[in-house]
Amino acid sequence: MTDGVLIVLPAGIPWVLAALLAFVDGRKRWVGLVGAAGLAASLASLVWLTLVVLREGTVETVAGGWPEGVGISLRADALGVTFAAVSVAVILASLLYEVALGVRWRAFPPLVLLVAAGLTGLFLTGDAFNFYVFFEISMTASFVLAGYREEDYQVRAAFIFAVVNLLGSVVFLIGIAALYSITGSLDMATIASRTDALDPRSVIVVAAVIFAAFCLKLGLFPFHFWLPAVYVGSHPPVAAILSGALANIGGYGLLRFGGGILPRELAYGSVAVMVLGTASIVYGALQAISRRDTSEVMAYSAIGQVGYILLALGVGGPLGFTAAVLYSVVNSLNKGVVFLAAGLRGPLVGAAFAVGAFSIAGVPPAAGFVGKIAVFKAAIVEGSAVTGALLVVLIFAGSALSFLYSFQVYQRRFLAPQDGEKPGPLAARLVVLSLAALLLAFGLWPEPLIYLSGAAAEVLTGGGG
Amino acid sequence: MTVYAALVVAVIFASGTFLLLQRDLTRVVVGIILVSNSAVLFIISAGLTRGAAPILPLEDEGASDPLVQAMALTALVIGFGVAALLLAMVYRLYTTHGTVDLEEIAAAEMREAEALERTDDPEREEVPVAEQDSGDEPR
Repeated sequence: MTDGVLIVLPAGIPWVLAALLAFVDGRKRWVGLVGAAGLAASLASLVWLTLVVLREGTVETVAGGWPEGVGISLRADALGVTFAAVSVAVILASLLYEVALGVRWRAFPPLVLLVAAGLTGLFLTGDAFNFYVFFEISMTASFVLAGYREEDYQVRAAFIFAVVNLLGSVVFLIGIAALYSITGSLDMATIASRTDALDPRSVIVVAAVIFAAFCLKLGLFPFHFWLPAVYVGSHPPVAAILSGALANIGGYGLLRFGGGILPRELAYGSVAVMVLGTASIVYGALQAISRRDTSEVMAYSAIGQVGYILLALGVGGPLGFTAAVLYSVVNSLNKGVVFLAAGLRGPLVGAAFAVGAFSIAGVPPAAGFVGKIAVFKAAIVEGSAVTGALLVVLIFAGSALSFLYSFQVYQRRFLAPQDGEKPGPLAARLVVLSLAALLLAFGLWPEPLIYLSGAAAEVLTGGGG
Repeated sequence: MTVYAALVVAVIFASGTFLLLQRDLTRVVVGIILVSNSAVLFIISAGLTRGAAPILPLEDEGASDPLVQAMALTALVIGFGVAALLLAMVYRLYTTHGTVDLEEIAAAEMREAEALERTDDPEREEVPVAEQDSGDEPR
């Protein structure tokens, strides 16, 4: 029973708090701090839930006391809690950062809380349609957030973001309806067991539809066109939330639906998945090198970085999925650090940005190295000799390119003399620094992260299929 | 029946997509509404079964599937809410630019940006740190 309550807390706390805070003026500092406290409580309950999941296995409860198979099930496994914890951590840092700078919209804290509630909800649900509903909660809140500050180009970017992602959501909804139509169930575990018995030709179409929808969220190469406009226009904390937390929906969705529910179809399409990942890495890195503006470079870098997740997913197997989870976690922390640091000036910020840049490039002291190594290992062990060698060359080249653009940006932004610019508020700089310290900590002591990712991959390879 | 339903869904989805590609933002919103409604029609046509109302199904008569109706209703509500949000954004752009044509809005923004560069106002730097410190002014 306590587990049943525990699983509701991570999404429930920010949700209720968002509804309450919507009535007060979010520009007041205490409102933002209350919101941050709610997110911290949600994060704490997630950490507790993670410990319970690692000790006792998947926690599951059916909402409303319905018998199993009738009601909507909430299910927390290692994969879900990992993604939820890292997303809430990035959102918490972004909210604290914005509170330190001074919130400009009365609705800002509740909207951020709603994004967090939707995200944790969709990571912790065991029902495909419930996944869609939570997904829409966080997406709708983020459509509004993208227009934060209401500069004209921001509102226009928010409109583009909303229209493109809505199209993606509709495509995903059609995929869910099709899954329901061919399997007769919305429960993820039931769908997974029933699709195995079906003719793969009928399932592969549905898999392609769902795959396209998540690639759109992730901003992968052929679906990336909306991403630079939105990330460049957004205010730094909003960009950090969009790319560090919301993009996790895409990575998680691909892992959950591709690796967990439709593994056979994923294996059929693995070549296509790897080609898309490769295209994304090359395109993102080349575009990022040719740009000058910090947020523009980081926006294109985001396109390149998700390519590695896709590569790991295409390689598949326990090691491939472990690498994909690990890389997603590290990537969302990277993005949080660089986007937040890009909006500030002054001492400490440069150091934080350097850690983020090291991490993106995969240089040892930062956590990005652990992620890159995991992808390397997966490519060598799981792939055949030729694809393994090709992938290693590709990853190496991609890392070299990302090293190049990261430090071009660092040089332009933080090494050049900046006269007349005041450093940002100390509190905001400390928030960025602590997020960067987290990246360093994971780089220096990666065992917990590797163990967690391994447990998450085990969920996909062992229990899902 | 399935063919007709598929045809209807296809036509609505296609017209929605066509409208999405227009420059006029209100048409884009209408396009999104059409596309999301085609998804609702798809849900209904893919899973609707004939039977008694599924309030209290008795064992001797088959009840229709309530889940499909619940999904369709949820999707409708979400589509409605998001359409309202999009219209609000379009209105916000209309009040500042007096037009809902995407290219005219972009052109107006370019002109503003150029004017800004000419005056080279230090207050309007990319990240107005000084402004951010003061924080609390109402918008």
